[in-house]
Amino acid sequence: MIEPKKFWWMIKKELISLKRHPARLVSILAFPIIMILLFGYGMGGEMTDLPIVVVSQSDGNLTDLTLDTIKTTETYHVVDVIDSLSDGKKMVDSGEVKAAIILPSDYDEDSSQQKAVTLYLDSSDQMASQIIESSTQGIFYRLSNVVASQTSVSTQNASITPSITHSLNSFKEDISLHINKIYGNIKYIDFLVPAILGMTIMMSCMMGMGATIAGERETGELARLFMTPTSVATVIGGKIAAKLLIELVRALILIFMAVLLFSVSIKGGFLQTFIVLVIGALCFVGFGIMLSARTSTQEDYAQISLPFSMPMMFVSGVFYPIETMPWILQKLAYVFPLTYLNDAMRGIMLKGQTLGDVWLDLVVLLGFTILFFIIGVKRFNRDV
Amino acid sequence: MKNAIETKSLTKVFNKFTAVNSLDLEIPNNTIFGMLGPNGAGKTTTIKMLTCLIQPTSGQAIVGGYDVQKNPDEVRNLLGMVPQQVSLYKDLTVMENSQLCADYYGVPQDERDSRIEDLMELVDIKYAKDKRVGQLSGGQKQKASLVASLVHRPDILFLDEPTIGLDPTTKRTLWDLIRELNDNGHTIILCSHDMYEVDMLCDNVGIINTGNLVAYDTPQGLKDSLLESNKQEMTEALSQISEENEVSTSTKEDIENLSLKKMSILLNNQTDDIIDSIKKSSDIKSIEIAHNGRINLRVDGFDDMAVQNVINDIISAGGIIKSISTEEPSLEDVFIKATSEVNEDDRA
Repeated sequence: MIEPKKFWWMIKKELISLKRHPARLVSILAFPIIMILLFGYGMGGEMTDLPIVVVSQSDGNLTDLTLDTIKTTETYHVVDVIDSLSDGKKMVDSGEVKAAIILPSDYDEDSSQQKAVTLYLDSSDQMASQIIESSTQGIFYRLSNVVASQTSVSTQNASITPSITHSLNSFKEDISLHINKIYGNIKYIDFLVPAILGMTIMMSCMMGMGATIAGERETGELARLFMTPTSVATVIGGKIAAKLLIELVRALILIFMAVLLFSVSIKGGFLQTFIVLVIGALCFVGFGIMLSARTSTQEDYAQISLPFSMPMMFVSGVFYPIETMPWILQKLAYVFPLTYLNDAMRGIMLKGQTLGDVWLDLVVLLGFTILFFIIGVKRFNRDV
Repeated sequence: MKNAIETKSLTKVFNKFTAVNSLDLEIPNNTIFGMLGPNGAGKTTTIKMLTCLIQPTSGQAIVGGYDVQKNPDEVRNLLGMVPQQVSLYKDLTVMENSQLCADYYGVPQDERDSRIEDLMELVDIKYAKDKRVGQLSGGQKQKASLVASLVHRPDILFLDEPTIGLDPTTKRTLWDLIRELNDNGHTIILCSHDMYEVDMLCDNVGIINTGNLVAYDTPQGLKDSLLESNKQEMTEALSQISEENEVSTSTKEDIENLSLKKMSILLNNQTDDIIDSIKKSSDIKSIEIAHNGRINLRVDGFDDMAVQNVINDIISAGGIIKSISTEEPSLEDVFIKATSEVNEDDRA
């Protein structure tokens, strides 16, 4: 039987503690914001303003048009336009720029011959070189349409010896590719934010339960509560309620900050996102209780929870899709509850699905929750 | 109901280690009971079983008439506990902690705050009622802990090292308080390593070692029995000596000293004549004059009249006594003896 007055005391105690430790309150609020900022700006943004140099050995309208197009492309920051091929290569070799776009001397000549544009690329920077390569291909593909002439781009990888030159392709006017993005333009940050929300909830729920149960067991506060005629369910229930309340406020801030800072869209609506997070929080609180049921110190708890929380963070598809991982990790991902939380969060936030659409994820999460609570309460050691 | 606590063959085994081994203990109502024992003797485990914090492996414990295993909640309602490590919430004030405890014990809401305030006055902590526990000094914390433990008016109060680390003045205040609580009808179980404290406060003392009760009596009774056992040992040892005959004089003296009581006397008019006539007193076993002028004597510890006779002899020799002191076995001696015997048994 759960007694409301005792239940309420646990919530009140947590809130008083927070109120009296403004620093702790700030860190609780700042943690999710820092996570969002770090992952959002650090990993989720698009690469722009990559330094390049253009080596132009011709004059004319097409050259001017090409230079204008390159200069107005956000991907590039054109450091200089020069006419010396060797100087251009030198700039790439020295690392001053990431690539040199070399327009041949016959670039502006009106001929039906293929025009060979060379991209001299610093391929040691894998991310930047990929983006430059595809974006350069894009530009010349569009230009060849405009001038109705054939242009080819060949890429030379500067830092790989021997340097590989490969003629990419010649773009034919009659080939066109239509891309139909079913969920619209999704940036990496959009992919990341729902899972970051889930991960933050996972980490703080698991760490927090260790502090309240194992920590209080260590300092004797739990013993004092258990010396009173009070059931385990009331004591633990109160602690869960207190933790859940704080986590939900944190989840709200997270969602709010994600929308504010990265204009992340929540296609499935705010309420549904929130409900999924609540279920996730409950699940990880249960996980925390299960792990802390028999640990006697906070240090023990940290040691025990780390092998669960760290792999879960990397395997559950927070940063990259599960499908891209080795098969063994993929299998492992499906035994971690965070995988299901992430999937449900992405479904609701990115795809605009409803709770009904992600029912399987929710059922699995609730199943885990029930399992954790049963094991946690059964194993819970009232002996202190 | 005569006894506040009764245990029968109470046993607790952790894995293969027997912490409490078939303990039989009776603590009468409305007394102060001192529970002594070396570290790791099983005191804490015993207290945890009596306060329903851990389950006994076997045996029975009746607290306030209730079985700790069958009626734990009834037992919990009867108990208060001041643990060695103050376990109040540091971020809550003294008042809030007491209110939390009161609500956990189900103290009626309309009585709660007035009861707490009365207790705060009793232990003199009311001035700090709105201070956070984390900001209190050691003594204040103990007092706060006492308020929180008494708020549900427990019949039986467990105090685990309540005065450890406290200054002498605060210690004495707490002692007075413990006596006052006892006068008010609380049975008190005091765990302490401070032998003087136990000697001063307790009606009965039990010494626990390696999970067993090795001694149980009043403090005076324990001290007397130490003298008694010393006498026995001496008699045995002396009879052995008479058989062997090859024991050094110093060993013989050591054995004899076991049963002697030390006296130290300072005279106003110390002259050789007076000293000489004192030396003739038949009750004095040995005499020496210390460099500070005190006369250190040893008399027969079992002769109830020995001290009286020595004083009479000094006065009749014309000595004017300025100060006099005698040294008896302390509870500490009893403790060391009681716990070393078992250890020796263990080794054997």
